[in-house]
Amino acid sequence: MILQSDIVLLLPEITLLSLACAVLIIDTFSRDPLRNVTYLLGQLSLLITAILVIYLYPDETTYAFGNSFVSDSMSTVLKAVICVITFVVFLYSHDYLKKHEWMKGEYFVLGLFAVLGMMVMVSAYSLLIVYLGLELLSLSLYAMVAMHRESQSASEAAMKYFVLGSMASGMLLYGISILYGVTGSLELDALAIQISEHSEHGILLVFGLVFVIVGIAFKLGAVPFHMWIPDVYQGAPTSVTLFISSAPKIAAFAMAIRLLVNGMHPLLGDWQEILIILSVLSMATGNIIAISQSNIKRMLAYSTIAHIGFLLLGLLSGSQEGFAAAMFYVITYALMSTGAFGIVILLSRRGFESDNLDDIKGLAERNPWFAFIMLILMFSLTGAPPFLGFWAKWFVLKEVVASGYVWLAAVAVLFAIIGAYYYIRIVKLMYFDKPETMTAIKASQQMRFALSINGLALLIIGLMPGLLMSLCITALVQ
Amino acid sequence: MFEQIIYYIFAGLLIFSASMVITVRNPVMAALFLVLSFFSSAAIWLLLEAEFLAIALVLVYVGAVMVLFLFVVMMLDVNLAPLREGFARYLPVGVTVAVLMMIAMGLVVSSSYFKSDEISAPVTLGPGYSNTTELGQALYTDYLYPFEIAGAILLVAIIAAISLTTRKPRSTKAQQPALQVQVRKEDRIKIIKMEAEKQ
Amino acid sequence: MIVLSDVLILAAILFCISVAGIFINRKNVIILLMCIELMLLSVNMNFIAFSHFLHDINGQVFVFFILTVAAAESAIGLAILVVLFRNRQTINVDDLDTMKG
Repeated sequence: MILQSDIVLLLPEITLLSLACAVLIIDTFSRDPLRNVTYLLGQLSLLITAILVIYLYPDETTYAFGNSFVSDSMSTVLKAVICVITFVVFLYSHDYLKKHEWMKGEYFVLGLFAVLGMMVMVSAYSLLIVYLGLELLSLSLYAMVAMHRESQSASEAAMKYFVLGSMASGMLLYGISILYGVTGSLELDALAIQISEHSEHGILLVFGLVFVIVGIAFKLGAVPFHMWIPDVYQGAPTSVTLFISSAPKIAAFAMAIRLLVNGMHPLLGDWQEILIILSVLSMATGNIIAISQSNIKRMLAYSTIAHIGFLLLGLLSGSQEGFAAAMFYVITYALMSTGAFGIVILLSRRGFESDNLDDIKGLAERNPWFAFIMLILMFSLTGAPPFLGFWAKWFVLKEVVASGYVWLAAVAVLFAIIGAYYYIRIVKLMYFDKPETMTAIKASQQMRFALSINGLALLIIGLMPGLLMSLCITALVQ
Repeated sequence: MFEQIIYYIFAGLLIFSASMVITVRNPVMAALFLVLSFFSSAAIWLLLEAEFLAIALVLVYVGAVMVLFLFVVMMLDVNLAPLREGFARYLPVGVTVAVLMMIAMGLVVSSSYFKSDEISAPVTLGPGYSNTTELGQALYTDYLYPFEIAGAILLVAIIAAISLTTRKPRSTKAQQPALQVQVRKEDRIKIIKMEAEKQ
Repeated sequence: MIVLSDVLILAAILFCISVAGIFINRKNVIILLMCIELMLLSVNMNFIAFSHFLHDINGQVFVFFILTVAAAESAIGLAILVVLFRNRQTINVDDLDTMKG
């Protein structure tokens, strides 16, 4: 039965859905070519949703809608972070869309629906809801990638993303169907209980598990299911790349936690082994191929793959603290990636994406302040102390060692050092090379302000990482 | 026994038509074979007592989605020749992968658990049983939340399809005699008084 | 009587055909979209078989949602296809190689 308390728990999602529909209708009738109303209302919707999420912070884990919806500390924290990061993404995107003159209201509307999909995923406690949330997110993203209709590379990227993404959903569904067949249940709690009772059918369960992991690995972008990442990141308009690389990664992390930890904890040993392979391959491929890239967006795409490898390290350590470290990592990564693509947007001009490594040469001469922000971002992505990225790597490695995989930690450090090369190269290009153009950087005041905050946040939170870490620990350790 | 014969006929038809979908030269033929595979699956679903979904598959899929496919195929006027170039090259790889996967999946799926009596007990449902009623009851009570999400997904599909494919109506140059007749002198000519410029 | 594993094997064959189709028809996006439909059909077949043999309606409800999502998905897929075709006058995936690295 549906109770009133169920509806109250769902209030943030309901509000966001209604606001998104309202924004859609207002946008349809708005005649403003700059879409300022749509943009401001979109931002307002995100803020209202975030406030509601925080206001409804549950004291204990609560379930609704017949155990298919869960509200716990993790879901609250992740939903709030998703809303805030999307807020920043919208802010940068607005600048980008204005600069490149293809301002479209649908961009923000679909963005809101994508956020709704992510929130559904984060709170999902049944295989069906996980699937529906994932599709709501993915369908919005496919459309956003293709939205710049005149761009050939964008429509190519969208097609690749769509075909590979749908294939991954098919794989995930096949795995879910097998799990359902063996256990007869779709709710994650019941699934976990049934799995431990049906341990004699281990092979069948692992068979389903493998397909589910393929689906998760694809959505995260772990090797060997990473083929879409470089092409989509490079081909999509930078504002969409920025969006794809930030908040959806958090949602994919939540999906992994829900499916693997909440639903299939009895199979821990099996998925640990698979994740080790994915993680090592991702770190190796990402860091090594990134070195040979000449396009910043493509380089950051390979860097994403490498970071996903690190994220998987936290997941596979299998302890609550490990999951908290992974959560810390994914939030940190979303912040860093938002900042890095923000800089690319900042440097772009009308009709010019400014996504080549040459375009960043001598940034320190053109604009010392944003060169400094980019320096923070690059050092943080490398994992140099005292920036936030260092702590993310440190916590993950600590948990990996604690769970007994010392060799894995050593491999991870090795690849992180290899990866440092291409981040430091950007710093070198900015500070020690001559600029090719001296065109002034055009950006709105709020963009400059937000980007500065974004960069400095990595330094400031990096100086006191305990706060964010304790938040992650309370979110995951019950 | 009768059920089994029907099942194998439709299963064979399904496998045949699915293989034709991926091998035929012409996309229109492929779409039509896909229709055939949907039909034969619908028949198998009827045997498995999922009557509502079987009908929905025919009505929604064959009736709407496949027609959409055919529309797009016809509209795009695709040059077919270059699309077949890689076919022979990829065929061995594709078939090998599929056969290996099939062996692995077949071994797992045909495990004794799925054959055992406990799970394959014959089902007898009385004539009073209505699949549609039961599905509807589950859908609108226990599954209210996913039902709403599905609504949002369909809305996203509508927004995406419209915003991706609409083009601004081309400004047509038709004459409108009524307006032409009503034109007055003031609409076309504007008389401006200006001072003569000094040399 | 039909046995559960009969239907599961049929679904597995269908799944493998669709994967093979994706491998073989790398160049033709329309056929790729059809292969995805086939893949979802095989998953649906699995769910309906389990639902029948477990006497559990939930599997059928799941299929209902997969059908809904698949319809939405193919609408978006075809829309992207139309945009792609307008841009390039081809749907050959091999021509889609402006990005390499």
